[in-house]
Amino acid sequence: MKKDIDIKSVAKLAAINLSEDEEKKLEKDLNIILEHVEALSKMNIDDEEISIHPLGETLNLREDISSEFLTHDEAMSNSPETEDGHFVVPPSLD
Amino acid sequence: MNLSNSSISEINKLYKNKELKPSEVYEEVFNNAALSESIIHAHLKLFQEEGIAASKLSDARFAKGKQLSQLDGIPIAIKDNINLKNHETTCSSKMLSNYISPYDATVISKLRNSGVVFTGKTNLDEFAMGSSTENSAFGPTKNPWNPQHVPGGSSGGSAAVVSVGSALASLGSDTGGSIRQPASFCGVVGFKPTYGTVSRYGLVAFASSLDQIGPITNSVEDAKIIFNSIKGHDPLDSTSIADTSIEIPDDKTAKVGVIKELMEDGISDESKNEVEKTIKLLEDQGNKVVEVSLPLTKVALSIYYLIAPAECSANLSRFDGVRYGSREFGETSYQMMENTRAQGFGEEVKKRILLGTYALSAGYYDAYYGQALKARSLITKDFENIFKDVDYLISPTTPTPAFKFGEKTENPLEMYMSDLCTIPANLAGLPAISIPTGLSSENMPLSVQLMSPARTDSSLLKFSEKLENLISFDQRTSLLKEMK
Repeated sequence: MKKDIDIKSVAKLAAINLSEDEEKKLEKDLNIILEHVEALSKMNIDDEEISIHPLGETLNLREDISSEFLTHDEAMSNSPETEDGHFVVPPSLD
Repeated sequence: MNLSNSSISEINKLYKNKELKPSEVYEEVFNNAALSESIIHAHLKLFQEEGIAASKLSDARFAKGKQLSQLDGIPIAIKDNINLKNHETTCSSKMLSNYISPYDATVISKLRNSGVVFTGKTNLDEFAMGSSTENSAFGPTKNPWNPQHVPGGSSGGSAAVVSVGSALASLGSDTGGSIRQPASFCGVVGFKPTYGTVSRYGLVAFASSLDQIGPITNSVEDAKIIFNSIKGHDPLDSTSIADTSIEIPDDKTAKVGVIKELMEDGISDESKNEVEKTIKLLEDQGNKVVEVSLPLTKVALSIYYLIAPAECSANLSRFDGVRYGSREFGETSYQMMENTRAQGFGEEVKKRILLGTYALSAGYYDAYYGQALKARSLITKDFENIFKDVDYLISPTTPTPAFKFGEKTENPLEMYMSDLCTIPANLAGLPAISIPTGLSSENMPLSVQLMSPARTDSSLLKFSEKLENLISFDQRTSLLKEMK
């Protein structure tokens, strides 16, 4: 299963701009970790069921009822840039 | 009397008898912080003015005989990945260095309503990813027993403040051992409750199926008092479980299993020796101790290092420079995001995001993440089967006592191995506690870990209290004495 990681494409997927030094160091570390977790792929556990909640519980969602929580201003208070109650971002297309 | 080492119940009694005031205790812990911070750097922020004001309000309540709870006027520190309204929540990351929380986490609301005095926010490995606080963007915390050694992590600041007496207790979060491992390294008690018993609402998520908030304290009794105050179903956390606890009968002696695989290679003789000494104490009291085997502990680390990074890569995608956190320049939105995340995250966080992104990417999902989830189910079943035969499990908390700075930073696996004994409880969602037992040849604290079936937290705490009395570890760091 294991193939050496293509660090550039994974960094692109993760939206992290890595320097060349970082690419080298992280690629080395990630390959060490992937080598270690390889032991799992040899386990014959295809029929095993999976559960996202560790105790096998179903996730309980709240009733869909609106209530007082944060004001609009509070919710946006940590944004790096806002205008008239909206988030401001650079253009989305080149 | 050294107030900062006293138990919460003792202090509460003194408050009620009007022999002591909350503001006096707050003053003592603040002075301890002022003295020790230049050496150990355990707090990222101290709330001096707010602490004085809150402790005086508590003074007034006790003067009128109207205490809010046993925790009224008790100074408690909070790990800086838990939101406290109108204060920074930095997660020890440059990404959130300016973030001010507009709301309280559920655990904070509960403690606030109990009259707790918040002392400040404590240091951690960035976004709780690490085992030494060496990954904090604001510099590491030092171990109060010996500042050349790490305090453990990720809740290293929370463990160090209790150890040195600059808070009576603290809250940490535990994803793979982040409460128990630093508690062990600093010679204090650390308790990770059953997954879902304490709300995660307001805890900055790292790996949502593993994260759990819990107390770090001077004693098991203190851990019990805090746990009882913060537990309970919370509609704001969809993974929170109903308030149903299961009791392990305590009218007879207990049967304790010692996990064979956590007493083998990779565990130091000193750590094993503490378990053996504790087994002897348990047997002397008539408890039965048997060896049990959990072969999958050998792959627990692999399971964890696929599931935790996968969940972290999803959780940390929210840090995009738009809604909160730092922002770097970019010509387009995507370039802005890439640059923001490049500058905002430290190396370990980047490593885990990349690992998780890879494990979840097309073509690898089933082989890595899917396979890890299946193996996790198996390990959970193994625990269930073992608990049909034994009441509790015992192991070392950590493979070694606290290591020195820089000792495990070269190879990521060496650092990850320090969570070898604590990770299985997170995978299976079990309650687990670290109890200090003795000192190493280098005078660093050592501990044992007890685990029990899911939802038996109260029984585990009761049994741990008995064991703590048998061990009677009463050593404290002499750091403050040396400084005074």
